[in-house]
Amino acid sequence: MQREFSRLLSPIAIPLIGIALRWVLGYRIEGLRDFRREYRRICLEQDGPVMICANHLTMIDSFVIAWALGSPWWYFRHFRTLPWNIPERSIFAATPYMRLLVYALKCLPVERGGSRTEVTGVLAQLTHAISNCEVALIFPEAGRSRTGRVDPDTAASGVGRIYRGVPNCRVVCVYLRGDHQDDYSDMPVRGERFRGAISIAELKTDYRGLRASRDIARQIARRLAEMEQEYFDDRE
Amino acid sequence: MEKSEIFEKVVKILTPYVKSQEALEGVSPETHILDDLKVNSARLVDVVLEFEDAFDIEIDDDDVDKVETVGNAVELIEAKIG
Repeated sequence: MQREFSRLLSPIAIPLIGIALRWVLGYRIEGLRDFRREYRRICLEQDGPVMICANHLTMIDSFVIAWALGSPWWYFRHFRTLPWNIPERSIFAATPYMRLLVYALKCLPVERGGSRTEVTGVLAQLTHAISNCEVALIFPEAGRSRTGRVDPDTAASGVGRIYRGVPNCRVVCVYLRGDHQDDYSDMPVRGERFRGAISIAELKTDYRGLRASRDIARQIARRLAEMEQEYFDDRE
Repeated sequence: MEKSEIFEKVVKILTPYVKSQEALEGVSPETHILDDLKVNSARLVDVVLEFEDAFDIEIDDDDVDKVETVGNAVELIEAKIG
């Protein structure tokens, strides 16, 4: 039901977000065409489940990433590729208006560190969505990085658990960072220019159970840390 | 193994992850691991994996969701030890 509601509003909501990011906030993404081409290739190459894992530095990362990965027209034609998100409820669903907005934007609000039952329920919903070939965006570090860098040791095992719960799931790592983003913040600065990369993570674990979930989560975070290093190497 | 012994071991394992030393001093089976002891939720899995090593048991993903209080952890471990 939420998906159909989002789909109905998407011809208005998605372009509006794009306009806000590009023309109101003045953001630009270097290599935008390449980002979108690669995402299209990944999505069209194979119909299977896809989970996007990204670094997390600002409160609007999920919007910027969705904007970087596809045009409104692309999302309109391939709505399943507009990623589901799990934003923090206290920030993004604090008022009825915001709750309606995030509901329309394929978001499943969750209280981080809240009731285990609730968190598990949301993860189960997300797993179900990915299993049905809907794309989801997850931040393996769970929250915005306090150091401004990806730390594989802080990866939450939930992402590994979702991966293990979806057979043949492909994990797409997205590293995106604004030129002025030294550490975490609420918003990127106005006129920010983002650079980054997108790549598929090859994952394999010999562990079982919880250890396997943690291992997978750390592998994903390590891939993001490598992409981060490449980002800084390129800037030097 | 006695329940009290499991409880003591559980508290010892939790100690390095606890941010509220005050809550740790008055720890009881009803103490909430995340809310009272202020253990980072992302670190809960590390705690549970330490339970696995310390008690030589295997805990499923789903079982972690049942661990909210120190008492829950003790009961889970007790059940696994058999």
